[in-house]
Amino acid sequence: MGSIKVEQIKKSFGQKEILKGIDVDIPDGSFAILLGPSGCGKSTLLRMIAGLEEPTSGSIFINDQDITYSEPKDRDIGMVFQNYALYPHMTVFKNIEYGLKIKKIDKSKRLNMVNKVIEMVELTEHANKRPGELSGGQRQRVALARAIVKRPHAFLMDEPLSNLDAKLRNQMRQELIELQKELQTTFLYVTHDQIEAMSMGSYIIIMNNGHIMQKGTPKEIYTNPANLFVAQFIGSPPTNILSYGDYSIGIRPENMSMKEDGHNVNADYILTGAVVSTEHLGGESIYCLTTDWGKVFVKGESTWQTPNKESQIAFSKKDVLVFDKKGERVRDVDLIENLLAEMQVSNHRREAVVL
Amino acid sequence: MKRIKSITVLQHFLLIMMSIIAIFPLYWMIISSFKNESEIFTSSFIPQAPTWQNYLYAFAEMPIIQMLFNSFVVATLMTILQLATSLLAGYALVRWNFKGKLLIFTLLSLTWLIPFQAVMIPNYVLINQIGLNENPLGIVLPFAASTFAILSIYQSFKSFPTALIDAARLDGESDLGILFRIILPNIRSTVVSLGIILFINAWNEYLWPMLVTKEMENAPIQIGLKSFVNSDVNMWGSLMAATTISCIPILLIYLFLQKHIVDSFVRFGIK
Repeated sequence: MGSIKVEQIKKSFGQKEILKGIDVDIPDGSFAILLGPSGCGKSTLLRMIAGLEEPTSGSIFINDQDITYSEPKDRDIGMVFQNYALYPHMTVFKNIEYGLKIKKIDKSKRLNMVNKVIEMVELTEHANKRPGELSGGQRQRVALARAIVKRPHAFLMDEPLSNLDAKLRNQMRQELIELQKELQTTFLYVTHDQIEAMSMGSYIIIMNNGHIMQKGTPKEIYTNPANLFVAQFIGSPPTNILSYGDYSIGIRPENMSMKEDGHNVNADYILTGAVVSTEHLGGESIYCLTTDWGKVFVKGESTWQTPNKESQIAFSKKDVLVFDKKGERVRDVDLIENLLAEMQVSNHRREAVVL
Repeated sequence: MKRIKSITVLQHFLLIMMSIIAIFPLYWMIISSFKNESEIFTSSFIPQAPTWQNYLYAFAEMPIIQMLFNSFVVATLMTILQLATSLLAGYALVRWNFKGKLLIFTLLSLTWLIPFQAVMIPNYVLINQIGLNENPLGIVLPFAASTFAILSIYQSFKSFPTALIDAARLDGESDLGILFRIILPNIRSTVVSLGIILFINAWNEYLWPMLVTKEMENAPIQIGLKSFVNSDVNMWGSLMAATTISCIPILLIYLFLQKHIVDSFVRFGIK
């Protein structure tokens, strides 16, 4: 129903450049996520697609139609705001109906449309309440219903779950995934929460500092980060970075294991470190160690045991990510091999053993 | 414990004293309006021989009902115009970015510093030339926009959540629609409070209406009061009676909108 294409979008507020030439192509029907730390420009980009902000230069297309300078109402999009932005003086029903009323849609048709959507988001019994009388989750649903009722080409969502508590957030996440499947409409969802991004998105766009750092499926982004920023931004705890000369060697905590766990028969390297802290989370444990190359987190199955103070960490060559001085991924296999070989020497000198 | 108690007593004493200072002139006005000529300069706190004579004389001497009506029309018109202009100006200043916005805003703020007396003569000449003297419009027009009102509305618009306005824009609402259907219903109490302050100010306006109107029939009540004081004789009793009458509408507003009035004074300060 609606593809979104953004070409060379730049945006400055006064002297400050917020977006520095963004290109995005979101295929029709995908659940796309704009992910990045706060202040990276993701919300500004979303607002520009919505028409609430004008770009300094560049073009925006919805369904291959140039809408860069169209009014928000002419773009056929539904938007859900972070703090819901429901009209406080109107009932749930009126909130949802408002846009249709302005569009001068025939009354009987309008009532029918609103009632259907209210039923869909399970708010029938609250239809005559005002937003102030509803819980956070219910308000969120009204905000969704208000967007859905317009049957837009695409949905834009600006951190819509960030005001909900953890349990409700999980539940709403599932509901949004189901909703997207049901509506088969493009969703563009802004968040700074990488877990939300990984669990919901079919396509993730990672932004930092007004630039796009990487675009791709969650799997691509997780397994094949294009740069140091993405490697560190995705994953919890973040990817461990060992500094070695001009290079940074990244290994995800879940790709490392404590040697005594015995899960590391295929491990290529062993690193020695001192355990600083242990967190048993139930299903898994997170160990924090200091090594000669910096602090390292190891995520492993929960053993409920405190490891030895002096422990050894095992990891495999295939899980090693190497980045150059600028933070770009190094894919030159020979260079990586050499680097690792050098590190093995260093390792050896620092009492780490090659398996 | 004892210290806290004595502080409370002191606080109450001060508050009571201040209340007396505030209320006493009103009390004196009312009792004087019931005193007869011989008693008016005595310091008795209760009239010895209460009389309606002053009221009867005041009603006979000037068209009080007509003048009250004039006052009401002028004050209402002024309030409505000032609210309308400040809502529109406040919206434009907060929502739109246009060239010269800062200049306009600065000029607006500066006009607040110019005393009315400085612009009184040019205003008078203009109103005279248009031929609006002896006309309520002549009293109202120079006060159709109030900087105080614009800046007050500007402040409350500034703190209005932008997301609501964004949502309305996505719903396809126009600027006027956003102002009157989205913002206004949500800042109603602010606007009511501001309206009350503007109304009271307009009601108390004296100098300008006196310049524009010469005929009693066209003047607001405040001008009529002056006629009891002249170079020959001061009719204090009748003056007090007429003044008491002129206060009645405002006192009624106080009675019915007490909560709003206290709120407006807290919100906008006592002007």
